[in-house]
Amino acid sequence: MIAFEKITLSNGLRVIVHVDRSTPFVAVNVCYHVGAKNESPSRTGFAHLFEHLTFGGTKHIRDFDTPTQNVGGSNNAFTTNDITNYYITVPANNIETALWLESDRMVGPKFTKKGLDVQRNVVIEEFRQRNLNRPYGDTWHLLRDLAYKVHPYRWPTIGLTPQHIEEATMEEVKEFFFHHYAPNNAVLVISGNIDADKAFLLAEKWFSDIPQREIKSHLIVQEPLQTEDRELTVQRAVPIDCFYVAWHMGSRLDPDYYAADLLSDILSGGNSSRIEEKLVKGEKLFTEADIFLSGENDPGLFIANGKLNEGVDYNLGREKIVAEAMKTTETLVSAKELEKVKNKIEAEQVFNEIGYLEKAMQLASFEILGDVDLINTQLDHYRAVTADQIRLVAEKILRPGNKNTLNYLSLTK
Amino acid sequence: MSLNRNTPPKIYSVDGVEYIEPKCHKLSNGVELFTMKSGDQEVVKLDFMFKAGSWYAKSRLDSMMAALMLQEGTETLNASQIANTFDFYGAQFSSNSSYDNNYVTLVALNKYLPELLPLVSDILRNASFPESEFEILRQKRKQKALVDAERVGLVAQRGFLRNLFGEGHPYAPVASPDTYDTLLLSEVKQHYRNFYRSDNMSIIASGFIDSEVIDLIATNFSQSWGDKASAASKDSYRLPKAKKSITIEKEGANQNAIAIGKLFPKQDHPDFPGLKLLCTILGGYFGSRLMTNIREEKGYTYGIQASPISFQQEGVLLIFAEVKMDKTSEAIKEVFYEMDRLTKELITEQELIPIQNYLLGRILEDFDGPFARAQTFASLREVDLDFEYYTKLIETFKTMKPQQIRALAKKYLKPASMITVIAGTNQQ
Repeated sequence: MIAFEKITLSNGLRVIVHVDRSTPFVAVNVCYHVGAKNESPSRTGFAHLFEHLTFGGTKHIRDFDTPTQNVGGSNNAFTTNDITNYYITVPANNIETALWLESDRMVGPKFTKKGLDVQRNVVIEEFRQRNLNRPYGDTWHLLRDLAYKVHPYRWPTIGLTPQHIEEATMEEVKEFFFHHYAPNNAVLVISGNIDADKAFLLAEKWFSDIPQREIKSHLIVQEPLQTEDRELTVQRAVPIDCFYVAWHMGSRLDPDYYAADLLSDILSGGNSSRIEEKLVKGEKLFTEADIFLSGENDPGLFIANGKLNEGVDYNLGREKIVAEAMKTTETLVSAKELEKVKNKIEAEQVFNEIGYLEKAMQLASFEILGDVDLINTQLDHYRAVTADQIRLVAEKILRPGNKNTLNYLSLTK
Repeated sequence: MSLNRNTPPKIYSVDGVEYIEPKCHKLSNGVELFTMKSGDQEVVKLDFMFKAGSWYAKSRLDSMMAALMLQEGTETLNASQIANTFDFYGAQFSSNSSYDNNYVTLVALNKYLPELLPLVSDILRNASFPESEFEILRQKRKQKALVDAERVGLVAQRGFLRNLFGEGHPYAPVASPDTYDTLLLSEVKQHYRNFYRSDNMSIIASGFIDSEVIDLIATNFSQSWGDKASAASKDSYRLPKAKKSITIEKEGANQNAIAIGKLFPKQDHPDFPGLKLLCTILGGYFGSRLMTNIREEKGYTYGIQASPISFQQEGVLLIFAEVKMDKTSEAIKEVFYEMDRLTKELITEQELIPIQNYLLGRILEDFDGPFARAQTFASLREVDLDFEYYTKLIETFKTMKPQQIRALAKKYLKPASMITVIAGTNQQ
């Protein structure tokens, strides 16, 4: 159980406080409801580039990092398809420094031409390091593009191509800030060793004078129902053949989410899962195989992937894992299996309650999702799932016409 | 209320760290059990530490394979039964190998320890090393090695260590994925028998520790097992003369990886705390000189770090980055320029003070929460140090003068003493 309190400031900023006395630190975590899914198809990678830019100094603070270091703190940020999340951790008595910094980021970064030029280069090097210069690095580009035809989930946060990043202009940067980085589009979480009353007072002090702004509510086009299976085959200079098979599933708030998550755990969570026992160890088809959810806020993907063992027929291996998943559409999972995966979720939940920063990030992301109470109630949702529901959700997800297959083959040298 | 955003809030410096020394209990078989109680969640983490790393192994992969084989079967349970028990109780079990010590770790809810500890005890004492599981693991690790061999970053770092230590040294990563084909199950099992013994083990328990937990540990781990003193003693290795510069060709690379460095003092050396500060200035935090110069000013890389790495027997300085292909020689030139600058110019107070404070904050993090404290304690034990080391570290960070920092740079960062390894396509 994670105890928290929540208020909303007059400018629309939601503030959540979680007290944790076991740490000498506090975290100031600001989550903006903007991610790669809010980008225009001709400017992909922009939300992430923007995250880099905001570290180059703000309206009143020339250098963002030195004040953080000066108080013994550290800061960082990440961008996903759904959100952009910034955090600073500091020894508790230095909380005001963290609030001063994060609030000024919301007031407005100081965008300079040089800053933009350099961060474009840095992000392009990140693109190369993670996606172009690494075996299997373009997997998500290919898979998303295959599975999504209209929803902006069809590109990863790094963007479709380095060219989009090269072409980003200062006007676009400023406009993006104005319409997305507003108090009424953000959640502030303060967690750690601090009185809740004091935390709310300080949040009020540093954030309440930032004016509300109009959020550019550009409508995100939802993906139409897929009716025909798709398949893409590529050859790359990688040592081992692998595949990804992805089916569309519901959103994070869909009541089916919990059954789908448990289904993926029964199939491949842990060494005692079906895929691991039957296909990896039993039939020795794969050296690695996994079934998992993409876990995004809008309707996401249910994904199976595997790396084939030496000498195994590619199509046979891939079809075996699909067949293993398909069995759950016909036969109910056993009570013992269901109990096992629920226990695992419960233990993970307790493990996650250790760590003030992780808790702050979770609170922020649930609030952005629209239901912060889920942080404590989701376990009940998992506990309530029945074997029948799992079979039904399997049937729904693994239906004919909903499948996207990526064959990622090794170029024979 | 009018707010002045131009003036920073008052700064409170980090004064000290609250060390809580672990309690040491001795089990009846002589095993030391260290406990660190803290936290409200009823979760326990148990680390079983064995002096069983690659340093002790006859051939280099034996230690890793032995660690990974532990949960693949015991004399009475097969891999599936073991996996099902851990998964059913939502426990996280892992068995890891490293250069010096190997760890077996269990994270679990207190309420399931009575079911889980007998299983862990069985695994430590009676692992059976079944042939078929061994072959599966061999394939799996070989495939991973094949993929790793395509990653220029890993290729450069591993090539760097091989160059520095020499091919046969236990700290030098193996050169070819084919090494996996030569592994023998009998030798891997012998490594387990030699080193996973009760008299070669200590236990660190952290989290929600009460007398019940301590009793359970005593019940399950107080027997003696393993052959006594069968371990071969290790001679010290004579290190080769490393090549100044090596390029490892990787066709089709999109970036080059560079690894620059040398042999360096290890953690128990009196200069180490000062070198930690020096390396932080050079490349140990986001605003470091290398990051500012090569990432933030020039945009040649996504990230560059300089770190002092301490093994039990040797220490290493490693400066590492993946850089723009056509800017490789410029990036290397800038690395040497920044090292050279540290040997010549004095650092200003303005640059030094935030770094001191930053490092003090990281020390505070090393002691933040039971698991972090246990981790810190374990890593000190690796090199036979105790929390006293942190007293010295704090004192050094707080009192070191710019002249002393420059003197250390002169002694240890001479550009001529460095070796360079590039993986990718050499365009120089």
